[in-house]
Amino acid sequence: MNRDRIYLQIPKKPDFISLVRLTSSGIAYTMSLNVDDIEDIKVSIGEACVNSLMLNNEDEISLLFELDDNKLSIGVSGVREIIPEELEERKERELGLLIIKSLMDEVVFNEDGIRMIKYIEDDN
Amino acid sequence: MSLNIVVNHDKDKNLWVFVPEGEIDIYTSSKLKKEVLYNFENNKADILIDGKQLNYIDSTGLGALISILKRLKENEYKIYLSNLRPNIRKIFDITELDKLFIIRGEDSE
Repeated sequence: MNRDRIYLQIPKKPDFISLVRLTSSGIAYTMSLNVDDIEDIKVSIGEACVNSLMLNNEDEISLLFELDDNKLSIGVSGVREIIPEELEERKERELGLLIIKSLMDEVVFNEDGIRMIKYIEDDN
Repeated sequence: MSLNIVVNHDKDKNLWVFVPEGEIDIYTSSKLKKEVLYNFENNKADILIDGKQLNYIDSTGLGALISILKRLKENEYKIYLSNLRPNIRKIFDITELDKLFIIRGEDSE
């Protein structure tokens, strides 16, 4: 088991989400994921950060990247699966969750937020 | 990482053409919505959004496009999307928004 961990914490501001996307692409690239998988990870992490930014009251968003030989796991704090009924952008947030669930191989919600996994296929 | 929007009005076809360059995300989606609707309100016409220079869109960007679509429909105008890159076309496919928008150069038109 070869698990390396990378921690990232950003202020809860839209300005920094592109930085997270860029960082995620970089990490995925170093793991030799293919171009389509890197794009899936970038899009999913962007959606997770937008969800956290809109639905969580903390001042920061914390991210944990766990790099294994066969997979990349990413945890994002403050992401919620249940979207409040009264939220004006409810439909948008639901689209965001749909995108994450479609693009990542495994998605788990827990009390801290979300954990998303992309497996590295042998043919990469 | 930002968004620049090139705006043209095709007088012959009476069509607004918007070319978003860069990324439509939580930071830039309100800019797209404002720019498109400002021009539309000034001179009502159908709208084409040309995705040839668009690298990325997130759910807030999709929300902005849905708002634009609703405003146009209220006025009985149409919005077309064209030249979407495969990564962006995939997002429309996943969210089934390809059924809501007219995507040019495909069978859905």
